[in-house]
Amino acid sequence: MAAGGAVAAAAGGESPPPLPAGVGVGWRPEIAGWVADRAAPAFCEVIAESFAPAVPPRGVAELRERGIPVVPHGVRLSLGGAEPVEAARVAHLAACAAALSAPLVSEHVAFVRAGGRDAGHLLPVPRSRDALDVLTANVRRLQAELDVPLALEPIAALFDWPDDEYSEPDFLRELLERTGALLLLDVANVHANALNRGQDPEAILDRLPLDRVAYVHVAGGAEHPDDPGLYHDTHTDPVPPAVLGLLERLVERVPGPAVMLERDGRYPPGAELTAELEVIATAAGLPR
Amino acid sequence: MTGNLAERQAALVAALVAGGPLPPGFDPVRLAATRRALLRKRAADAARLWPLLAGSLGADWPRVFAAHQDGHEPVGALRDGWDVAVALRECGELAASAAAELAGREATMRYDGRGAPRRRSLAGRAMAALRRR
Repeated sequence: MAAGGAVAAAAGGESPPPLPAGVGVGWRPEIAGWVADRAAPAFCEVIAESFAPAVPPRGVAELRERGIPVVPHGVRLSLGGAEPVEAARVAHLAACAAALSAPLVSEHVAFVRAGGRDAGHLLPVPRSRDALDVLTANVRRLQAELDVPLALEPIAALFDWPDDEYSEPDFLRELLERTGALLLLDVANVHANALNRGQDPEAILDRLPLDRVAYVHVAGGAEHPDDPGLYHDTHTDPVPPAVLGLLERLVERVPGPAVMLERDGRYPPGAELTAELEVIATAAGLPR
Repeated sequence: MTGNLAERQAALVAALVAGGPLPPGFDPVRLAATRRALLRKRAADAARLWPLLAGSLGADWPRVFAAHQDGHEPVGALRDGWDVAVALRECGELAASAAAELAGREATMRYDGRGAPRRRSLAGRAMAALRRR
């Protein structure tokens, strides 16, 4: 089955898959040389807020010249924030998509600032009706400026709000139904949240709207000595076997995905990253 | 639960990054773990812009960064690191390599510890160089 087969099926088989089946990687300047020479990615992602559409980094321009799709991935739009999403941030993400001729863009089900303060990272929204309303409104504002589909990624969080009205899968299903957005499914986030909530990650997978999966993230994480028993989705550690196992379980349900490694620091030698792409390909049943 | 979503989100951010009180109903252990994780991420971001400062402290960098920035909201990696460097210099704990890194920044940019750092004009750079003599 082709990548995004689930999405194509959900749309009556008419919309082509947004990304090719295969293993991709998050492009970062620190690993640009490895991405260009060794990674042979099926596709890449760039952090939208680090990307200047008018002057793309040479490494990204070369990926596009080779025909490799590049997806702008927003991290600071704060779609789950109670204030309307900032027009300039929407315009920037749309400009990134245009400059890259991207097949889709992605952002998070999260907020990053409130009350004039910036948290510096993605924070969870309460899974409540009013949060669903503000998310829906912000996602629609974004979609109105985009010529390509939007995929939304549920985040990893160490805590929940005290008054959640929905489970995470139900909240997500409702949001995607209201907006028509696709799902960027991060199996490491599913693993982290299930572990930290004392839930079975495979049971969570079965309740997620997998028919909306556009592509898949995989990342590393670890416990921290300060917080025994808590799993941190660090993106600076190797991908643990349990996350690869969950990817295998996902692929039983969504065959032939577009799946990519996110690494955001403490970069190991290129050979180790290449080996990590190999084990991701094996777990996902994809050729390398 | 009282308060609208905007107020509750603002209270949560204040608790996580600006030393605000714990919002009611949240798990204090998990919020504390989140607060520390946010500080570690900021430390890693600042280390990219201040490699000699972070390198001079080695494995201690995240702890030193957190000691200075816990309760201070993020103002971007450049200022986050700059503030730590200045604080260490004031208490005489800035390594020579990190001091040179800070002096290099101060030679080309003007930063008052409050607003965004601004590039100095050529004349301003000359004046800064004179003052350092």
